[in-house]
Amino acid sequence: MKRTYRFMLLLYPRGHRDRFAEEMAGVFEEARNERHYQGWVWYVRFTFSEIAGLIGGAASAWVDRRPVPEAPVASTSQQSLPQEIVEAQEQVDRNIAGMVHAISHHDYQGARRYSDEERRARDVLQLVRQKYGITG
Amino acid sequence: MEAKPLTEPVLLILTSLANQPRHGYALLKDIEGLSGGRVRMSTGTLFGALRRLLEDGWIEPFEQMDTSRQKQAYRLTTVGRRQLQMELDRMRQLTRAGFARLRASEV
Repeated sequence: MKRTYRFMLLLYPRGHRDRFAEEMAGVFEEARNERHYQGWVWYVRFTFSEIAGLIGGAASAWVDRRPVPEAPVASTSQQSLPQEIVEAQEQVDRNIAGMVHAISHHDYQGARRYSDEERRARDVLQLVRQKYGITG
Repeated sequence: MEAKPLTEPVLLILTSLANQPRHGYALLKDIEGLSGGRVRMSTGTLFGALRRLLEDGWIEPFEQMDTSRQKQAYRLTTVGRRQLQMELDRMRQLTRAGFARLRASEV
């Protein structure tokens, strides 16, 4: 079953797999172990639900063209990063802060503008990180 | 401009993360409890929703000392907390209106 699940993860786009596949397989294993002890009826329902969820999730992931969010970089401190990356990150943070401020003042058009800017800033950040060979 | 109502998986995930960070399996278990056993989310649905929430900046990875690749925890951001608050306010207004109409029709 675990192998079948991992095989089905191939339905997802590469970026999604790189970011989430290990985590999904881990959660699946924990859930599968629990259902296994609840009897075969639960197990069959669980299996069908997982298959349907994977197919639906993979279809959504292919439709969603936004870049996959990066995994946190565990051991890299802000001080050791190149200035270009720090500035790109600060631009992202400024837009998030602007969005929060706009939402808290019920300025939803402003919030959407900051949200669009934040996505663009995040794309720039990703490019800069790739330039310096820092990946998620 | 009005914010769009949240989908049920998104609402449940945000609610589950409202009081503490959780990793994937803990989210599934908590959501099952929150919904009284009605919602048993699949991993495909869970991670599809998590991805969108990360993209929107409503949640963020939360680093724990014992975190492995398979046990990534997530927590609400300020934006996510605000969105949850707005959705709960919207639901509260709707619930009040619904009960008021029910009471009026019983008289």
